[in-house]
Amino acid sequence: MPDQTTITREVGGAPVPGSEELLRDTLKRCSPETLTAALEYRVSGEVSLVPTIVLGIVERFLDPDVASKLQSGDDSIQFMEDLGMDSLTMIEAIMMVEEALGVSIKNDELMNLRSVGDLKEFINDKILGLSSEETKEFFPVDQVASIMPQQVPFLFLEQATLEGRSAIGRYPISGQEAFLEGHFKGNPVFPASIMLEALGQLAVFLLLKKPPQEIESAIDSSEIYFTGVDGVRCHRICKPGDVLDMKIQVKRVREPIAIFSGTITVNGEKAVVAEEITLAFKAETSPADLNGNGSDPASQVNGENGSSVHL
Amino acid sequence: MERKRVFITGLGVVSSIGNDTAILVESLRNLKHGFKAFPPYHPYKDDPAALVKWISAPSDFEVDSTDFEDWKYPSRYKIRREVLRGFAPHGLYTYCAMKQALEDAALEEEDISNYETGIYTSSGGSPRLLCNNMERMREIGATRCSPTGIVSAIAGTLSFNLVANFKILGNSCGFSSACASSGHALGYAYDDVSLGRQSRMFVAAGEDVNFESVIPFTGMRALSLEVDPTRASCPFDEKRNGFVCAGGGAALVLENEDEVERRGSTPYAELVGWGQSSDGHNVAISHPEGSGLIRALSNAFRSAGIEAGEVDYINAHATSTLIGDASEGKALDKIFTSQGYRPKVSSTKAITGHGLSLASALEATIVSLAMKEGFTPGSAHIQNLDPQFEKLNIIRETETTAPKLAISNSSGFGGANVTLVFRGV
Repeated sequence: MPDQTTITREVGGAPVPGSEELLRDTLKRCSPETLTAALEYRVSGEVSLVPTIVLGIVERFLDPDVASKLQSGDDSIQFMEDLGMDSLTMIEAIMMVEEALGVSIKNDELMNLRSVGDLKEFINDKILGLSSEETKEFFPVDQVASIMPQQVPFLFLEQATLEGRSAIGRYPISGQEAFLEGHFKGNPVFPASIMLEALGQLAVFLLLKKPPQEIESAIDSSEIYFTGVDGVRCHRICKPGDVLDMKIQVKRVREPIAIFSGTITVNGEKAVVAEEITLAFKAETSPADLNGNGSDPASQVNGENGSSVHL
Repeated sequence: MERKRVFITGLGVVSSIGNDTAILVESLRNLKHGFKAFPPYHPYKDDPAALVKWISAPSDFEVDSTDFEDWKYPSRYKIRREVLRGFAPHGLYTYCAMKQALEDAALEEEDISNYETGIYTSSGGSPRLLCNNMERMREIGATRCSPTGIVSAIAGTLSFNLVANFKILGNSCGFSSACASSGHALGYAYDDVSLGRQSRMFVAAGEDVNFESVIPFTGMRALSLEVDPTRASCPFDEKRNGFVCAGGGAALVLENEDEVERRGSTPYAELVGWGQSSDGHNVAISHPEGSGLIRALSNAFRSAGIEAGEVDYINAHATSTLIGDASEGKALDKIFTSQGYRPKVSSTKAITGHGLSLASALEATIVSLAMKEGFTPGSAHIQNLDPQFEKLNIIRETETTAPKLAISNSSGFGGANVTLVFRGV
């Protein structure tokens, strides 16, 4: 196969940055809609075109069998875990996004772009020039485990992303959890109580890693207790192989109590909603304060039994 | 310390004279070259006398584009995008050769990926991808260059890719001694198996064959500019004037005697030893008396525990250059002719062209096949034998008997010489 490139080389020349030619070349393997949207975006700067462009670029790297996942429209879909992209493919995709949208993404920003939602939101903010002060920060399993008071086999949080007063987290149900043997016999169903525990753990992680501004003193990680949960509905049975996508949001904080709302989805499908999850915590303070605090978390722990869990 | 015997139990090849061993054997029996026309190139388009006319490139592979997603290759290979993106053109050739060799040796996944199995590779890297990356980097910035730009292009690319893709857990290293590279890879792989450091080693070698990998050799006037392909590569001929550049990939499986017995495989040949030496003479020209090669030959015989008189076939390095062929001829005269020995000699580069880092692995493949399939490849394209080689028993046609004890020579830039010794089983 004789080398044809020798013929074109003398007239070809290198691509010009920002040129339409380079854009067309960059997006040549994306869907026609993606290219059309990108060309239109160059002219109009219309932000509503961004999701089409970004998803079109991501899709171009996917095997056909996972591409359909992307079309489900679920923003919690993670590039690596759900779509099988590795970090190099992420870089390839990001390069195309940069070229298509005329933005530039720094390495540390790239690290925090885990999901389709992250990427869409991030690009949107970039384009609108929103330098959101509340940047996202991602924590992989080892960092989560190093902070949490809960440990294996009672840690139900594999990764977490913190942003302002909310957090998202993930727990894949492996099927190896010991309690599944008895819940239930021959029919492993992830207990609703443990799903609430998982949401509670995500809230604990937020309290410890990025406490809301109302809390002035440092929190003692060995003194955080689950005290209550209200307005709970379970919508879906979760089984081994399901990945719990959790989200919690700070509702109110007044030392020593913090109240969160929380949801769990699986593949974008609603699994659990909890209107109020209450945690009691203790400030890491001098011994003098130990007696002065009015709350007794232990008495409230019993409240968990009274919560309205419906399965 | 007791040494293990080392056998060649699997072969794979992607070359201009065959993309599998069966076709390779056919081409060798018929001495059919695999040269393809190289299109006229800037700035010599209107000056045919200055143009290289022929290259030796594998058929059924279209890998000229700098974008791997444009590449075409035989449909029997199913390669995922994540695998392909790390490859240079020769990465693809060699990956396919590896697939063949593993299948040929009937190795299971657990035979390939374990602590006792390693891989040595050789290639000169990919000047094309390197050039393309540099150009792109200068024009639009480093962060807009492919993240696999380095691992696909620099020397060592074969090791990075093959180790990762075949989940190799044992020894691995890339060898870079120009045209002796895969000779060194085979030699050290032999040592590892023989010394019990590994029970199995793969040796994989490859080269690109495109404008950036080929044409620089015209700068040192090493390539033949002949119009007739049979004149463009004619080792030992009095009119030889340079070589035809070859690309492709070759892969060999080396296993110790215990593994051969355990798996019940029938080896192609036994690798019984090797030797090397350096000329210490010139950066690009071999020693005129072949002094380095003489020592490599002697070292190889000592390693294999054989005498020169036992050798019945020599697969010569001879690339069809004036000085190189002459130097090797002097070394062979000294070691064999002067002792009264007349083993058969041929250079298969007459039909394969010169594969540079690939050459020694390709020729080891050829010798292994000759031993198992029962032939001795001839030295093609000789119209008038250069009188200085008259004392050598250079065979012009392929003979239908297998060599029993064969050697293969390779010499590279800087005067690196390697001789490998094979015995029929």
